[in-house]
Amino acid sequence: MGNVIEVQNLTKEYKNIKAVDALSFEVREGEILGLLGPNGSGKSTTINCILSLLNFSKGSIKLFGSEMKPDAYELKSKVGVVFQDVAVFDELTVYENIDYFCGLYIKNKGIRKQYIQDALTLVGLEEFTKFRPKQLSGGLLRRLNIACGIAHKPKLIFLDEPTVAVDPQSRNNILDGIKQLRDNGATIVYTTHYMEEVEILCDRVIILDKGAILASGTNDELKELAKIEEKITVEISNLDARYIEAIKQFETVDMVTYSDNLLLITYQKGKNNLVALMDFLKQEGIEYSKIYSERPTLNDVFLELTGKELRD
Amino acid sequence: MFIHNFKYAFKTLFRDKMLIFWTFAFPIILGTFFNLAFSDIESSEKFDLIKIAVIENDVFQNNEIWRESFAALSDADNAERLFQTQYVSEDEAQRLLEDQEIAGYFVLTDHGPTVVVSSSGIEETILQYVTQEVSQAEEMIQTLTASAMAKGEISTAGDQNAFYAQLYSEVMGIAQESEPRIQNISSENLSYTMIEFYTLIAMTCLYGGILGMVAVNLNLANMSNQGKRVSVSPMRKGKLIFSSVLAGYITQVIGVSLLFVYTIFVLKVDYGDTLPLVVLLTLCGCLAGLSLGIAMAVLVKSNDNVKTGIIISVTMVGCFLSGMMGITMKYIIDKNLPLLNRINPANMITDGLYALYYYDTLDRYFVNVASLLIFSLVMIVVSISGLRRQRYDSI
Repeated sequence: MGNVIEVQNLTKEYKNIKAVDALSFEVREGEILGLLGPNGSGKSTTINCILSLLNFSKGSIKLFGSEMKPDAYELKSKVGVVFQDVAVFDELTVYENIDYFCGLYIKNKGIRKQYIQDALTLVGLEEFTKFRPKQLSGGLLRRLNIACGIAHKPKLIFLDEPTVAVDPQSRNNILDGIKQLRDNGATIVYTTHYMEEVEILCDRVIILDKGAILASGTNDELKELAKIEEKITVEISNLDARYIEAIKQFETVDMVTYSDNLLLITYQKGKNNLVALMDFLKQEGIEYSKIYSERPTLNDVFLELTGKELRD
Repeated sequence: MFIHNFKYAFKTLFRDKMLIFWTFAFPIILGTFFNLAFSDIESSEKFDLIKIAVIENDVFQNNEIWRESFAALSDADNAERLFQTQYVSEDEAQRLLEDQEIAGYFVLTDHGPTVVVSSSGIEETILQYVTQEVSQAEEMIQTLTASAMAKGEISTAGDQNAFYAQLYSEVMGIAQESEPRIQNISSENLSYTMIEFYTLIAMTCLYGGILGMVAVNLNLANMSNQGKRVSVSPMRKGKLIFSSVLAGYITQVIGVSLLFVYTIFVLKVDYGDTLPLVVLLTLCGCLAGLSLGIAMAVLVKSNDNVKTGIIISVTMVGCFLSGMMGITMKYIIDKNLPLLNRINPANMITDGLYALYYYDTLDRYFVNVASLLIFSLVMIVVSISGLRRQRYDSI
């Protein structure tokens, strides 16, 4: 499969501040690429440059093998965008909004009608067609925003933080819809600072910070970058310091912290860490209310690479 | 796609409550207030006849000039009648004056004319003014007659009477033309109220600038989220903006039409029999307003609220200078800062409508039509240079 997007050495400066710093990457046909990074890391700027909305200082951008320019209307007809800010008309109904934006791409009214219906089904807004945007909840509004961006069935879709400030039900609905778009053959660029979404959705991930790529690869490849392999959290009241010291002596333990009645132990590697810990607690007669084990997340990778939390 | 975008731009603009208020409702509300306020002023300014008395003595009876003058100015058939005159004795006149039944009385003796009043006011001033005018006319006639007799141009009594009558007619005609015209203004098309309605139409046309601004902003990626979305669509920017602006223009024309219908049928405003020319000027005014809004959208680097504020301010100041809050301001600007009113689109509209009623020819009217078209052209040309930019430094 070929590359749908090819970005080479993209650099964008705002008054001597590099918002995007020599970015190079490609997006393969049919994949979901996640652009992961904290707010201000350059995700939206990168997308706006790719879409030819923003001037950029250096670099080249190709979509479907052709250079992307403001007047590349043929390329634009294959692209759909869901911007971070909701971009719909308050004066139009849900149906009219989707019809308007879809109509900028699809002339045939019959086809458009079917496409609108498909988009409404995808985002679960069939019952709200006559509602005005102000009558919708935040989650439903986000779904409308997505429907307006993808109703024309584009081959390449940019989704810029589509789940910001969305309730869990709408978030699940949106994520299911995105998977369906990918299954229907679309290539997707998905930006977010929610690592869980990236882990659920994305085939490959690029981690951005300060406009530069920190790391890229599949979820598993990226997690290899984290020096920890397992995290165990235990809820214990008033744990004596000598027990903490004892746990630190375990062979594969990387770090132990205890605060607010939460004992957090990270392991560099190893199997049966949870069993060994539970045996120790039982042997010492230490009572606990909860204990659970986690694999390292992309947040741990980000922490490892930058020394700060992804959501800082 | 042009029609598709036009249709939805029209729907969007027409359903925008803020826009509809400024372009549809506000002018109608203001027009209603104008009608209430200025119709009262005009009715209060209707000219009432001045009640006077003339002392009917021999000197007065023998003086044709004075006798005829007061008869003419008191004639019920005269459209420019000033006085309701009683011919009485001096005692009776004094009694009427004391009882405040008359503003004053006129007495002609061998020593000349005298006006007796008990207070100062507009009616007393008019009586005094008329007396001076007639007195000057009398002197002029006597001087010219004496001169003609001295030169032997007239000799017989018959010649003298004919000469005298001719002079009287000419002198009184000149005097009447040169004096300030005191008339019942409510009988004319042109009135304070009409000037207010002209500026109201100008204001409505210029408020269309808000429509133009919104129509453009909705298509600019650096001005609105919707603009970002349409900017990444395959529809050409020029087509997008032109169809949206056209929708804005149609919306504005509907707004002005509603104002006309309301003022004609509800407020009973009489725009005269040149309605097609009024409509033409209004359409040009709408174009000027719209182009002003487009220029604001493109040139002013700020948010919608600031741009709207600028358009409303420019409109209100323009209307003020063209006479919305009193026609005197229009005269002051025309006299002292004529250039300001020549570039003021509100004045171009007001003055064009004013010219339709005040002048017999259409020269001044068409100068204003042309001025509005030139103003629109300049605004559009300036805007196009800004709209050609396809990428932004920031959005």
